[in-house]
Amino acid sequence: MKRVQILLATSAAAVAAGLWLAFTSPTDALQGEFSRILNLHAPFMWVAFLAFGLTALASIIWLFTKTPRWDRLGEASAELGVLFTVLGLFTGMVWGQAVWGRAWDWGDARMASTAVMLFVYIGYLALRRATPDPEMRARRSAILGAIAVVQVPLVYFSVYMFRTLHQTPSIRPDGASMPSEMLVALLVNFAAFTYLFVALLFARLEVARAEERLAADGALAGDSVKPPRLSEVKDV
Amino acid sequence: MSFWGQTLEIARVDLRVERRLGDVLRIVLPFAIVALLVFPVALGVDLSAITLVGPAVFWAVGVLFGMQVALRQAANDPPERRDLYSLLGVDPAARFAGRSLSGSVLMVGFLVALLIGMIVLYSPRLPPGWPAPMVLALLLTSIGLTELGTLAGEVTAGLRNRTALASLIVAPLALPLVIGGSQTLESLSRGAVILPWILLLVATDLALAVLGVALARPLEEASR
Repeated sequence: MKRVQILLATSAAAVAAGLWLAFTSPTDALQGEFSRILNLHAPFMWVAFLAFGLTALASIIWLFTKTPRWDRLGEASAELGVLFTVLGLFTGMVWGQAVWGRAWDWGDARMASTAVMLFVYIGYLALRRATPDPEMRARRSAILGAIAVVQVPLVYFSVYMFRTLHQTPSIRPDGASMPSEMLVALLVNFAAFTYLFVALLFARLEVARAEERLAADGALAGDSVKPPRLSEVKDV
Repeated sequence: MSFWGQTLEIARVDLRVERRLGDVLRIVLPFAIVALLVFPVALGVDLSAITLVGPAVFWAVGVLFGMQVALRQAANDPPERRDLYSLLGVDPAARFAGRSLSGSVLMVGFLVALLIGMIVLYSPRLPPGWPAPMVLALLLTSIGLTELGTLAGEVTAGLRNRTALASLIVAPLALPLVIGGSQTLESLSRGAVILPWILLLVATDLALAVLGVALARPLEEASR
């Protein structure tokens, strides 16, 4: 537990440092202050992709090993992926309202495909909630987790596949299309939010282990009381 | 019996069940036609708008109601029949392929009937030479949607809220099929090449087929 607390505390410090850089780095000449939102939006989406990729990896490993910890990892990662996708969409919409003049634009394929990806993983989490048996839950969600990840490349490459409003990546192998101060702020935020994701993942895994221990602790009070079945009641 | 023999036999049984029950013809198709009628009523008597939105409404209604056709296959597969197939040594991959095959046949029929309904009701401006590419797009969309429905039906087998849950899983994952199908006609109208969209549909169908066959055994174990 102590390890998780240290991770959470240090990740909070890393995020604070990232935010400080985001708010003190130079702004874009055209977008002004609104360009600072991208220091959050891009890392949120990166973490979401990472989380869904991790869910797929854990799902595939579970299918081969049937080890519960991979199931727990898949679930925890998917939950965080959904959280970061919502945050990424929200920050994107705030930025879109300010820069494009509308929060949601159907001309942006990245936005629409991200929303679709979100619903795929909401379906994944709904499937887990709907399946009471742990073994069956793990198996079914592992299968869906392995299939659902096809959405991630679809979202990423949507900016190349369709005519869209969304810009292509600003950081490419041949260099970045921004001043170094802005680039440093963005990269620090990428690292900070990835670290936050790792910390939250460990915290969620602790909770999952505690839930499993609780479930394995045995019968609850009242479990032995069975309601009478009409067919078994005589002389009523 | 060989893999393909099992596949054809399962498809034949599924189609025979459908012939007796008539779910697609008697329930899903009339319901989908009603949905086609609802859109113009909601739009108002703007003939140019109705003509314009016809193909888009067709794809939206086709995929949403097509999901019911795809999931119907899995819903008509009770645990007793699954157990019987297992005891008979039927290959789970052949079951997936057989169900996908019979579902695709039903889906193509359903979408063609819906397309005729849309043309009659909406009078859309269709580009010259549209039938062949449209039939190809319908065929590929039907295969993909049925594969997806079969997979989702297996993943949610036996669950209390399976209908809603399976629809929630299928609808977002069907997006590449909707895009591929609708953009084929759109590209044809603009005089652009339709090959990328046909390739998108083929790639989606192949990916789903590979996943369905590869995951057939774990899916069978999961549904017990």
